[in-house]
Amino acid sequence: MIGWLLAAPALAVLALAFVWPMAGLFRISLNRTTETGAMEAAVTTDSYARLVGDDFTRELVLNTLTLAASSAAIAVALALPIALLVRGASPRWRGLLALAAVAPLLVSGTARLVGWMAILGDQGMINALLTGMGISTGPLALINNWTGVRIGLVESLMPYAVLVLLAGLGRLDPKLEEAAATLGANRARTFLRVTLPLAAPALLAAWLLTLVLGISAFITPRLMGGGRVFVLATEIYDLALETVDWPGAAALAMLLLGGLLALMILRGVVAAFFPGNRAEKTP
Amino acid sequence: MKAATSMPAHPHLRLDRLKRHYAGAPAPAVASISLDLPRGALLALLGPSGCGKTTTLRMIAGLEIPDDGKILVGGRDVSRLPPHKRQMGVVFQSYALFPHMTAAGNAAFGLEMQGVARADRARRAQAALEMVGLGALAERKPRQLSGGQQQRVALARALAIEPQLLLLDEPLSALDAKLREGVRDEIRALQQRLGTTTVFVTHDQTEALAMADLVAVMNGGRIEQLAAPEEIFERPATRFVATFVGRAARLSGQLEPGGVLRCGGQALRSTATLPPGPAEAYLRPHRVRLLEAGAAPPPGHDNLLEARLTRRIYTGETIALETETAAGPVTAELQAGQDGPWRDLPTGAPLRLAFRAADLAVFPAP
Repeated sequence: MIGWLLAAPALAVLALAFVWPMAGLFRISLNRTTETGAMEAAVTTDSYARLVGDDFTRELVLNTLTLAASSAAIAVALALPIALLVRGASPRWRGLLALAAVAPLLVSGTARLVGWMAILGDQGMINALLTGMGISTGPLALINNWTGVRIGLVESLMPYAVLVLLAGLGRLDPKLEEAAATLGANRARTFLRVTLPLAAPALLAAWLLTLVLGISAFITPRLMGGGRVFVLATEIYDLALETVDWPGAAALAMLLLGGLLALMILRGVVAAFFPGNRAEKTP
Repeated sequence: MKAATSMPAHPHLRLDRLKRHYAGAPAPAVASISLDLPRGALLALLGPSGCGKTTTLRMIAGLEIPDDGKILVGGRDVSRLPPHKRQMGVVFQSYALFPHMTAAGNAAFGLEMQGVARADRARRAQAALEMVGLGALAERKPRQLSGGQQQRVALARALAIEPQLLLLDEPLSALDAKLREGVRDEIRALQQRLGTTTVFVTHDQTEALAMADLVAVMNGGRIEQLAAPEEIFERPATRFVATFVGRAARLSGQLEPGGVLRCGGQALRSTATLPPGPAEAYLRPHRVRLLEAGAAPPPGHDNLLEARLTRRIYTGETIALETETAAGPVTAELQAGQDGPWRDLPTGAPLRLAFRAADLAVFPAP
């Protein structure tokens, strides 16, 4: 009872700033677009039918999922060594390292992407270095394509992956790795046989979270894609502001929301039925 | 001052001036530890928390690298070897069983790392589990086992690799008091049957005295006394050992030539060979003979103190009679059932206490 009371202000803000606009968006998605492109009040599922039957939508979904799934996987794979390093550091360094790992979150996403553009562009640092050293003859296409979007997305997802992994690995008793070592396992085998299997639930949790963030990413595909990369989030924006097809944009947004909700539920189910091999609490 | 111990020509384990100072710590965790342990013996490292006993064990296991000194196992210097090349069977205080593996998987892990063939290691892991009485629970995961069973799996896992040394870090501290004695005796019996040279870390003196062939009483990163349990208990080499192991009455006074301790107007005879000066004598309760007021001391008991009963403490197995004497408070301890004549003695009643000169452990006053 007291819990609800304490949560009331936050719930009120959520209802006002999230649930209400969402309900509005859902209402818009049921409207009709006339021949002239104007929106007309109606209750029809035309927009949904149009989207579901559309090859382009299907391609968008596939592109978005491929981009998000691969970026999330790369981000988690890169975050794991960082999380292990932070966990293994002395208490004095641990806080500092953890802060450094999530520091990118303190910088605006747009500012970071502009930085990436300077690094990955045709005249950017990497291409200047590669051509200057004679490793490649012309500039590599590292931006304004899927590669660029993926690089930007991986970088922006990594801090979240590190945070989830740190929380998950915190329950992994370092004594287990010591025990493996005393039983004759070198570092590599200790990692493969003990650390990795026990970190699996944390890895899955980190991947699912970054997957959801990756699917809904907008700024990164927009800026790093240079208008040549189309994903669901950018398409919703284009439908709403370029084509001015509000019902279509709203319907696509609702479909995306539904998909993300399904993923979040799946994450909850996984967490409930796969509690993982968390280290036993010993008295 | 250390008791002389026989130094075998080829000790199985030799620690030579081992030292470890953690960065930022005001004092070294281990200042300087040297000892020899013969093959097949069980050594208990006994001391209060922070005395360096666990750090010493971790250095033997290779989980901690000494700043200085050497660790020799079977004559070979292993001081700088990583843990996975040392073949040490370690039982951790928290057991550290792999939660994602069954009891059999845990017991087979070390063999797998040694490259033992699958069928062979399954057989040997099963044998190790049977050795600790868990043959029937081989397919259980650690979380499906009780604390005592987890402890046995940890022991089986450590023994399965046929270790150079078995290293036990407070292995009984997580068990409840009832289980502890039984497991303690089982570990000792198993260790003696297998002849595995063992180092056992504990802060529990009863455990150390009951299990060990040799006890090293540690304090402040050093060994205060290294000796057999009886020697540690009956002839403590330092004030620290006298106070840390067992209970003792402390009698402060002035030591005179000939080992006579002047204490509260009494002249107590001791076997001390210290130079004269301020001194403290420690007297174990079970060494004190109780006599009725006016009774003659039994032969050999050179010291006699007049006492008054101040308190009687019944613990079931023993009865402690606390008394006040001219030399200070002294406690006498009797086995239950032997307190007949003193059972109904009122507080304040006169008594006589007799003890031998050799029963006093005398040290210079701090």
